[in-house]
Amino acid sequence: MSPQLLFATLILAPLLGFLINGARYRKHSAEVAGGIATGAAAISFISALAIFFQLLDLPAEERRVAVQFFDWIRVADLKIPAGFVIDQISGIMILVVTGVGSLIHLFSISYMHHDKGVAKYFAYLNLFLFNMILLVLGDSLPVMFVGWEGVGLCSYLLIGFWFTDKEKAAAGMKAFVTNRIGDAAFILGMFILFLHFGTLNFQELNRMVPVDPSLAWFGPIGLGTLLLFIGATGKSAQIPLYVWLPDAMAGPTPVSALIHAATMVTAGVYMIVRMNPLFLAAPNTMMVIASIGALTAVMAASIGLTQWDIKKVLAYSTVSQLGYMFLACGVGAFGAALFHLMTHAFFKALMFLGSGSVIHAMHEEQDIRKMGGLKKYMPVTHLTFLLGWLAIIGMPPFAGFFSKDEILWMAFHSPRGHILFWILGFVGALMTAFYMTRLMALTFWGESRVDKKIHPHESPLLMKIPLIVLALLSVVGGWIGVPHVIGSLLPGEPHNILEHWLEPVVKSVPGMEAGDPTLEWSLMGASVFFAAIAAAVAYHFYVRNPSQPKKIAEALGGFYRLVFNKYRIDELYAATLIRPLIKASQGLWFYVDVNFIDKATFVTADLVRGGGLFVRGLQNGNIQRYALYVAFGVVVSLSFILLR
Amino acid sequence: MSMDSFLFWFLAFITIASAVTVVTITNPIYSALALAMTMVGVSAIFVTLGAYFLAGVQLIVYAGAVTVLFVMVLMLFDLKHELSAFSRGQISGTIKVATAAALAGLLIGAIVWTVSGFERVVSKPAAPDSADGMRELSHALFTKYVFGFEVLGILLLIIAVGVVALARAKGGTHAQR
Amino acid sequence: MPNVDTSLAAEALARPETQTQIESLDLIAHSATLGVGLSHYLILSAILFVLGMIGVLMRRNAIVMLMSIELMLNAVNISFVAFSRFQNLIDGQIMVFFVMTIAAAEAAVGLAILVAIFKRFREVNIRFFEHLRG
Repeated sequence: MSPQLLFATLILAPLLGFLINGARYRKHSAEVAGGIATGAAAISFISALAIFFQLLDLPAEERRVAVQFFDWIRVADLKIPAGFVIDQISGIMILVVTGVGSLIHLFSISYMHHDKGVAKYFAYLNLFLFNMILLVLGDSLPVMFVGWEGVGLCSYLLIGFWFTDKEKAAAGMKAFVTNRIGDAAFILGMFILFLHFGTLNFQELNRMVPVDPSLAWFGPIGLGTLLLFIGATGKSAQIPLYVWLPDAMAGPTPVSALIHAATMVTAGVYMIVRMNPLFLAAPNTMMVIASIGALTAVMAASIGLTQWDIKKVLAYSTVSQLGYMFLACGVGAFGAALFHLMTHAFFKALMFLGSGSVIHAMHEEQDIRKMGGLKKYMPVTHLTFLLGWLAIIGMPPFAGFFSKDEILWMAFHSPRGHILFWILGFVGALMTAFYMTRLMALTFWGESRVDKKIHPHESPLLMKIPLIVLALLSVVGGWIGVPHVIGSLLPGEPHNILEHWLEPVVKSVPGMEAGDPTLEWSLMGASVFFAAIAAAVAYHFYVRNPSQPKKIAEALGGFYRLVFNKYRIDELYAATLIRPLIKASQGLWFYVDVNFIDKATFVTADLVRGGGLFVRGLQNGNIQRYALYVAFGVVVSLSFILLR
Repeated sequence: MSMDSFLFWFLAFITIASAVTVVTITNPIYSALALAMTMVGVSAIFVTLGAYFLAGVQLIVYAGAVTVLFVMVLMLFDLKHELSAFSRGQISGTIKVATAAALAGLLIGAIVWTVSGFERVVSKPAAPDSADGMRELSHALFTKYVFGFEVLGILLLIIAVGVVALARAKGGTHAQR
Repeated sequence: MPNVDTSLAAEALARPETQTQIESLDLIAHSATLGVGLSHYLILSAILFVLGMIGVLMRRNAIVMLMSIELMLNAVNISFVAFSRFQNLIDGQIMVFFVMTIAAAEAAVGLAILVAIFKRFREVNIRFFEHLRG
């Protein structure tokens, strides 16, 4: 099949699903709406797979299938076609997006079964998928930006899906506005890059990057990449624009799984990986990226230690894991970032869906203090969640181990890395192990603290299938990225398939040398070992000795409260940014708009009216007066003529 | 002082004096009378300028018909309650006189400046003989301006009809008591 | 001062028959003697005109206003005839002819209207007719 047709199917199937479900948004049947939506997502996935197979047939250096549909923008020197490309990077991404997306669509049929707005929900979900596909496949920054904005919109629509609840609506607003701030920086970055390079096409940009990295902070490359990264912090919830993601848990759980774990929030990482030669040429920006990523990883993990809402824990976990991905980008391990993106999509989506299953069984209860011992009621959910847990805490041979360890290794080893980055990542990993184990313990293990009126039960089939598939992926997903030090010891000597695959398009940091295997092994071993210890401690606290964590919390007192209240960052923003802005707006409204502009218009109107009244008074019916006007006019004209 | 100039100054004086009387005197009948005098004066000036035919016509039409018309209409109205002749308001009156004076000044200034710029332009005066002047006048009237002449005739017809229509007891404006 | 078209005058000056008359006729400009020239007549006309205008502006009796208008028209007639005389063109007198006719007609119509008005309102003071105001 021709590439054009495949691409068109891939891109337009979800759009079609959106239109159909959107037209019938008042219908209540979850099966029909969900069937249409899931079908559309599945069609996209199959088309993506077909193109991917075409990719496999191509030689490594030319592995890209590109189409251009029409001229989108053509102004003076600027020519942006509606072009899409699948190459090594976008190939992996599109499969993850459409694949995980289809599974989550399937899950939603069961989860949203009783909701009145189910057709609207699926319409939004398809629209989101459409925009995400645009984002992933776009061959230039503007096309990507269309998708970027679109997913932001869909995020708003879906977070605030139950908009009659004011808090949920506010959460949607918060997400959108925070995103927009990032988008503004993104646009500025685009402008600067266009100004300097004259093109915004990814392939051309990557080719035009100078060989020597530029050390200027305010040079075009430095500033452009920095602004693009700020846009990424908005979309991918890093410091300082992460505040929307925990609030975004107000949306339905499959939405959290799809948008805020697997796909949308990874857009920032994806963008950076796409433009890795450009970022490699801006070491200052990379340092900023790595620092923010590491700090976010640790900060979010610390907050996750204290939360009681199951979805909030997972949200902060997502922010933290995204921090790892940015850390990887910052030290030049772009392949590792993409790898972690993929594995994270698997296990985080799995855990979100699992939490959805739990919430559904617990009749919308989300507080883990009121759960416990769910293992025996929901075996499948428990088993799949367990596999996800093992993946995220980085236990070999599960997926998370390979990707996270590669990041930590590169944070230490890369010429642009630093031991501090490794330490922060290590601490974050320990915290991750601790809070995830805590979550498992309080939710599934130990004594049941469930309210007697609620009888938890296992979820229906349509919810189980995605859980099982994602669990499988969480187990085997890491095996395409086995690092050399391990692979050399295994039978069959599997090499790092992913690294090999990405080699033509992911450049490495200049000056990168081969690592010392011993060092690598020791670091790997240390992180696994201490993560296991942390998990064991958490198990001990929360299963064996529940009162102990409480004592520790009390002992820490004020500090504990600070962490529990998310370091009061939201309050800080409200006090320093939001309230002054609102006051300034009100001031401007009152003094400028009402007093000045409105007054100006009133004064003008009064002047005109006054003038009119005056002129009206000239016509008083006295014809002698009129004759005088004529005579006067004659005198004036004559004097002009004669006395000139 | 030559005969010409004496005649001119005398006639000018009379005409202007009569004109002032027309404008200033309260009683409209006296005004009409003064108007008749002015017309006569103008006719005399025409004579000094050698336009004898026009002088005659002036007397017949203006001093004869038009003035009589005015007097007749004045007689028709019984104006007992004419309070004052001039419009009230000192300021507006001053402005009016000032404007008129300014206009006069401008005109006179223009005349003096223009005419003094002329060289000693000379013309053969129109023949003092009335026959020659008449001939020339009628010749031009019936050749060069014949169209206007005819239109004038029609105009007068229309005017005659119109005036009657306007002033009828039951016509024109359907005037009622 | 504006450009005065003296071409006509210059043309007349150039005509041979006029040359002989030059000394005997000093008809235009102010001369040392109290001779009258074109400017005198024109000034007279101007004064009459302005007087008529004052009458129109200031008299309240509608009939007297019409009389003042007649005065203005006569002033214009004087200047036409004066020009005709001093340019030796008969067209000025033709113009007077027309003006006279029209003026008479207009006076007639004006008076007829006034008669109608008087019959209706018993008033010819124009101060009472200020209905058409803004």
